[in-house]
Amino acid sequence: MQTLNSVLLRSRRRWELPRPHLSTEFVRGCISVLAGVVIWEILTRLFLEDELLIPPPSSVARSFWTLASNGQLNKHFAATLIEFAYGFSTACIVGIILGYFMGMYKWFDEVMDPWIATLYSIPVIAIVPIIIIWFGIGMLSKVIVVFKITVVAIILNTAAGIKSLDPVWLELAKSLRLSKWETTYKIRFPGALSYVITGMRLGVGRALLAVVVAELMAANAGLGYLLRDASETWDSPKLFVTVISLAALGLVSFSLIRRLEKKMAPWRQSAEW
Amino acid sequence: MNGRFHDYSSTILKGGSILAGLLLWHLLSEYFIRDTTFIVSPLVVVKTAYDMLFVTGELYPHIFASAWIFFYGFLLAIVIGVPAGFLMALSPVVRDYVSPWMMTLYTTPRIAFAPVLLLWFGIGGGAKVAIVFLGCVFPILINSFYGMRVVNRDYVELARSFRLRSWALFLKILLPASVPFILAGIRLAVGRGLTGVAIAEWFGATEGLGYLIFFAGQTLNIPTLFVGITAFAALGILSFEVLRRIENYATPWRNGLEVRD
Repeated sequence: MQTLNSVLLRSRRRWELPRPHLSTEFVRGCISVLAGVVIWEILTRLFLEDELLIPPPSSVARSFWTLASNGQLNKHFAATLIEFAYGFSTACIVGIILGYFMGMYKWFDEVMDPWIATLYSIPVIAIVPIIIIWFGIGMLSKVIVVFKITVVAIILNTAAGIKSLDPVWLELAKSLRLSKWETTYKIRFPGALSYVITGMRLGVGRALLAVVVAELMAANAGLGYLLRDASETWDSPKLFVTVISLAALGLVSFSLIRRLEKKMAPWRQSAEW
Repeated sequence: MNGRFHDYSSTILKGGSILAGLLLWHLLSEYFIRDTTFIVSPLVVVKTAYDMLFVTGELYPHIFASAWIFFYGFLLAIVIGVPAGFLMALSPVVRDYVSPWMMTLYTTPRIAFAPVLLLWFGIGGGAKVAIVFLGCVFPILINSFYGMRVVNRDYVELARSFRLRSWALFLKILLPASVPFILAGIRLAVGRGLTGVAIAEWFGATEGLGYLIFFAGQTLNIPTLFVGITAFAALGILSFEVLRRIENYATPWRNGLEVRD
């Protein structure tokens, strides 16, 4: 009876039009954004003679279209993304390996700890000039900056994950006579995974800031370069296009990694948004 | 006994690691890369720091300039961030309307706003304080919001059964319960605020630690550059420790709370 009922329910549901689920939260968010843009447009049209201070959204959109269609925006966007990707992926590999050894061997942890702590407490911005002096103004220096920022967060979190592994699992591994490699591969890594991802999330935001700072200081491509270019030529619409692109980049990368984190470690309660 | 021995070996390992690293750095700069526009020995850095601190005293104006900007921006972030977080926690309508804007501002790399803020406020103190503010305000706001949201339901029920008015509920239950979260947020904000100071001083400043680092980098003055970096790291560690102490003192029952940025 129950199966029949559920089949009926399901078949009836199939014929209904898929109704998009709109939560009040989402609707209010949309209203807020739309209203904000409209008010911005009206205010700038009414009160500002000059587009220098705050350009209206329409001219920002026009500037966006120009930059996107002549390929300038794509070029700079791609440059930033590639630098980011190289630095981030190397940092993941190195960070997980170093973090693993720091979690496993007490003496290695002790040896590394002062250096990691120092690296961690230096603000990104302070270290960018010296990295540019050492590695030039090309892509390499930005990759190194991203690497430096991300790797510390991943090392610390991986080590914490390996250390805080439930000993019961290790006993299980022992009673199943897993080899050392199997224990690492089947027990330790999956156990530490949620921590690793948290480390990555923490790294993303900082790395994005760092790559833009490095590009702003000395570069020939990238969104940071575009930002500098726009602000030095007093081209406000272009400046706003860059700011909005950066905002989009930040928002997308943040929510992607957030989703990944929720999927991999749904039990973790995070105190952030 | 065992514990003491362990602490002892830990100190040796850490100290040995630092000494070995410094020695390596010294040897590298003295014998392999003999180029003072590239790397200098830690001894030279220490000597420069000593000169700047005790002989010429040129480091102090920079430290004070940075400290003031930091202080104003930070204070403003607390004054605005905490009430705004409370408001968003207590009113779902406010939260829904404000959160898309906040989320965007929060996830955008802060440096992107620097040129815009400079355009609006000029190169004086205003833009710098605004940049620091923008860096500090979100961890504080988000933690205040979260602190108010996760207040134990039992406390609220208790207050209800004592027929507390809403302002009394706020003052006696909600506010004290969210203090540890607010303090954690303030601690997180320190690091971001320091980065904000450095960013702010890059754009048209004439003094401050960020300016010092930037200027030293442009003129390839490596010893000064390292002194600036060290001063920044020291400020970071110092303020972090002070806040941790305050936190432990103010909310001793909450030692394990870890809200990370």
